[in-house]
Amino acid sequence: MTHLSIQNVTKEFETRQGKLVALAETSVEIRAGEFVCFVGPSGCGKTTLLNLIAGLEKPTTGRLLKDGGEIHEPGSDRVVIFQETALFPWLNVIQNVEFGLVARMEAGKRRHIARTFLNLVHLRRFENSYIHELSGGMKSRVALARALALNPSILLMDEPFAALDAQTRGILHEELQDICSQTRQTVLFVTHNVREAVRLADRVLIFTARPGRIKAEIPIEKSRPRDLVDPDWPVPYIRQIERELREEIEKVLREEVDRDWTLKKTDILRPAGIDLGSGI
Amino acid sequence: MTWEAVSRAGVWPPYLFPSPGGVWQALVYGFQDRSFLFGMGASISRILIGYSISLTLGGALGLAASRFKFVEDTVGSLVLRFQVLPSICWLPLAILWFGLNMTAIQFVVVMGALPSIVIATDNGIRNIAPVYVKAAHTMGVRGVDLYRRVILPAALPSIVTGMKMGWAFAWRSLMAGELIFVSSGLGYLLTMGRELNDMAQVVAVMLVIVTVGIVFDKFFSLFEKRLRLKWGTVAGV
Repeated sequence: MTHLSIQNVTKEFETRQGKLVALAETSVEIRAGEFVCFVGPSGCGKTTLLNLIAGLEKPTTGRLLKDGGEIHEPGSDRVVIFQETALFPWLNVIQNVEFGLVARMEAGKRRHIARTFLNLVHLRRFENSYIHELSGGMKSRVALARALALNPSILLMDEPFAALDAQTRGILHEELQDICSQTRQTVLFVTHNVREAVRLADRVLIFTARPGRIKAEIPIEKSRPRDLVDPDWPVPYIRQIERELREEIEKVLREEVDRDWTLKKTDILRPAGIDLGSGI
Repeated sequence: MTWEAVSRAGVWPPYLFPSPGGVWQALVYGFQDRSFLFGMGASISRILIGYSISLTLGGALGLAASRFKFVEDTVGSLVLRFQVLPSICWLPLAILWFGLNMTAIQFVVVMGALPSIVIATDNGIRNIAPVYVKAAHTMGVRGVDLYRRVILPAALPSIVTGMKMGWAFAWRSLMAGELIFVSSGLGYLLTMGRELNDMAQVVAVMLVIVTVGIVFDKFFSLFEKRLRLKWGTVAGV
């Protein structure tokens, strides 16, 4: 069953240099309960597509349908978690988690729900802390609880763990997987970290360099829970994705630096397998 | 100590250079016969009225300027230009408009506080991290709720700073106004002291004015500090 249907969507922006095509014609179908990762070089339109689905921006052409209805505006059925977490510093932890529930239910009920989700991310003890008192990983947890408390039908995550250290990120990956497999939550996850994508996703969509479009789609057929008993399982997937990505990254480089410069084999994209398992 | 020594040396006569003891006595007398209390009461009630008007008007104008481009271009830039005008310069105009009465003084007080409040509200709202608004949108919060629950709290630290500055301007404007056009209040007591050649009273009233100013300033600083603690924008929390 199709949950989210993106049909011939394009997005252009007006800039001082003229029209910029952020997203070339793109069509994708997302099924309910799927975990889909978007990967691609910077400026490939993956965040643009996420914003379109969130309703934060409008497509230039094409349609986005959620459960058959067209997406016109942002709504709490499609909550976004931003890299900056966007937690409100004037509220404490539990008030942040309750934020989206305030207009929907009375105080006692929403406090109960907020506590349930703080329990889920193991931060019950910190419900009265202010945001600046938390570490990066704790902020990510609060942002996750705040989004899940709204019971979104699609959870949109825009490089949510990019600012975290590798250990913290690894722990959060595990917890996110646990939560998602328990709740069958549909998740669209933007990242530039290939290992992260392979570890989390049911399906990885690879974007081309500007103008962005979907270049390849790679299903990750690995049963869950994906623990680290066999730490080498992602390697073939990572190789495959990096091969696809390499060409796009070179394209971006050619536009950003001198034309005669080429990417040496060992630069930037290390062969997959090295330091594997340390970060994912 | 130096003050006492200089006054005792008798270089200047006491009606030009009062001793600390004389000033203290003037303070005690002033509070005993309640003239200082009435003066403070009159001045404080005036500034509270004028400042409340400034807050309401300034907040509304600042909000409108941040929301609508044409308000920003008209009112916003006008306010910015008139900010350099000491507000007591409005008094002649106010007297012609309203006559020689309290309304004229209130007008000067309002004009004193208004610019900083308008500018702080406008800038505060404009400089909110856009991601807060996006986050609120994606959680289904919009319209009046968005202003009440996200935009105003996010802009509050900047607005409070503007309010504090506005208060200082309002207090100065009021004192200037009371000096020039007298009926009651602390500025009036200053003028009375001058006319009676009572330098001790003049200095005593000045001390009262400073104290009232500091007390209110402390109140704003406390508020600011609480916000900073919450936001984590102060070191050594």
